[in-house]
Amino acid sequence: MRLSIGRSYLVAPHCVKSSRLISSSSSKPQIPLFLRPPNHSIKLTDLHKWYNWAKTLNSSVGSSFVDTDNGPDSTLLNRELKWLVQDAVEDKSVSSELGNEIEQNPKLGLRNVRLKVGIEELYRLWKQRIDERRPFQYIVGCEHWRDLILSVEEGVLIPRPETEALVDLVGKVVLDNEALREGFWVDLGTGSGAIAIGICRILEGGARVIATDLSSIALAVAGYNVQRYGLQDLIELRQGSWYKPLQDVRGKLSGIISNPPYIPSDNIFGLQAEVGKHEPIVALDGGSNGMDDLIHLCDEAAVMLKPGGFFAFETNGEDQCKLLVNYMENNHKGRFCNLKIVSDFVGIPRFTTGFLKEAI
Amino acid sequence: MASANMLWNSAKILGFPVPLASNGRWARFGCTFRHHPFEGSFFFNLLRSNCSSSTANSVWNDKEYLALSDEELMRQCEMDTFKASGPGGQHRNKRESAVRLKHIPTGITAQAVEDRSQHKNRASALARLRALLALKVRNLVDLEDYSPPPELLQILPLKSTIRPPECGPQIGPNNSKFLPGMQALLDLISTVDGSVADTAKLLGLTTGALSRLILSDDALRMAVNDIRMSKGMKPLK
Repeated sequence: MRLSIGRSYLVAPHCVKSSRLISSSSSKPQIPLFLRPPNHSIKLTDLHKWYNWAKTLNSSVGSSFVDTDNGPDSTLLNRELKWLVQDAVEDKSVSSELGNEIEQNPKLGLRNVRLKVGIEELYRLWKQRIDERRPFQYIVGCEHWRDLILSVEEGVLIPRPETEALVDLVGKVVLDNEALREGFWVDLGTGSGAIAIGICRILEGGARVIATDLSSIALAVAGYNVQRYGLQDLIELRQGSWYKPLQDVRGKLSGIISNPPYIPSDNIFGLQAEVGKHEPIVALDGGSNGMDDLIHLCDEAAVMLKPGGFFAFETNGEDQCKLLVNYMENNHKGRFCNLKIVSDFVGIPRFTTGFLKEAI
Repeated sequence: MASANMLWNSAKILGFPVPLASNGRWARFGCTFRHHPFEGSFFFNLLRSNCSSSTANSVWNDKEYLALSDEELMRQCEMDTFKASGPGGQHRNKRESAVRLKHIPTGITAQAVEDRSQHKNRASALARLRALLALKVRNLVDLEDYSPPPELLQILPLKSTIRPPECGPQIGPNNSKFLPGMQALLDLISTVDGSVADTAKLLGLTTGALSRLILSDDALRMAVNDIRMSKGMKPLK
């Protein structure tokens, strides 16, 4: 698939702050498993054999991952396994047949089923899931997020369910203030493009969305996702660190949204293996107290937003939310208004939001 | 087992930010009683005990829950999410986006677990809640000069003698517009004490035609049979 993404996509990075190697911008995004053609055929009984093998692997995990680093248990792994089958098979009835039906009626096993991936590959993939703790989303190449299915791959942060709420926050803000529905909105450190695509859809075509990221892989994947949702005319992708590629829209932004890295550096080592060993550290590590990037985002928001413009940032939780509000009240006295802390769906204070004051 | 270090925590999706609590049960109580207008009243407790204790159809008047928008309906709900221990967000990669909605005025709960996104689980739980409200919440119908509401007319077979042609094609159980029609039908059946023959007369149908409509959907059939059994009648088969 050929991708034509925003013009600025090929612009050289303005700032490479991380020591992590960033691959060349020619990287081609991978096609998620569920979108691949069903070019493989196999007897249902052989698929069933693999399925049982994988379930046995899952059971052998028990609660050991939970105990080590609060990773998934057998139940969750079995659920993921079902989702892998959903994505890998062409015929949706196969999922239920792999359960009890085939055991009650072994003749079913003789029929051929079409797969989007070879059976050897399925063995290899599930071994990676268990032995290497490779995230499920990288195995199937996608994540279900809001009503979207977004392509993800190694090098790109897997969008989190908590982050879904940022889009709803934007929806509420423009409902109260229709004028903000227009102009420029930015998603800083877009990763897979999740927030940019989410807000672009909720803004209903009124605004131009600019999504930035330092990483070429992220931009390629975001471009693929933007294209898949037909938003290439509304979302522009630009490469660079935070606000650096946005100097032409300085002081003109209707909204700034970001889920920047916010995990304190000391906590990176103890992360769940799926996260710490496989996801891009540059998207997770927020410096010694986790707030290096958040503080930078706040400082610049004061000059990048237009008067009355809105911002919403995701944080590590209550402490960071409070620190951020205090910081803005003290270091940018009188510039922002309506500063709020908003909780995520499990009740953890997760987002700091506010507006740049209208000019008097 | 993993659920040992997880708990159901509660957060009002459209309410104020709920403070982080170390114990899910307490967070949920705080949430319920702090934000709800029925707070602690005798009426509220009565509703709660009524609904949680039996599957019998309760009688309500003028509770047009199905006419509410998703957002309005959510405002009447307490949302529980499966909360694992730990800071969440970027720290975590676990697909446990289960959602449980509790409709405070009726005590009816609906939950969704199997969808792959939080958003979809919420939508599924809300759709299930709507179906349960249609099935379980009964409104008394005034039988004097009864004329069926348009949502009920839409689900009737075309041969009904009272169905105006402008109603369009018959709406079946797979259409989301079937729910309000089903609710109105159950309200009517409940008001005539479970009699299919009496209901059929009011709807311009033969008893056989109405029976076929009722039997066309499992949930509707079971709800009608619950009403009939509670009135000491035989179930439809």
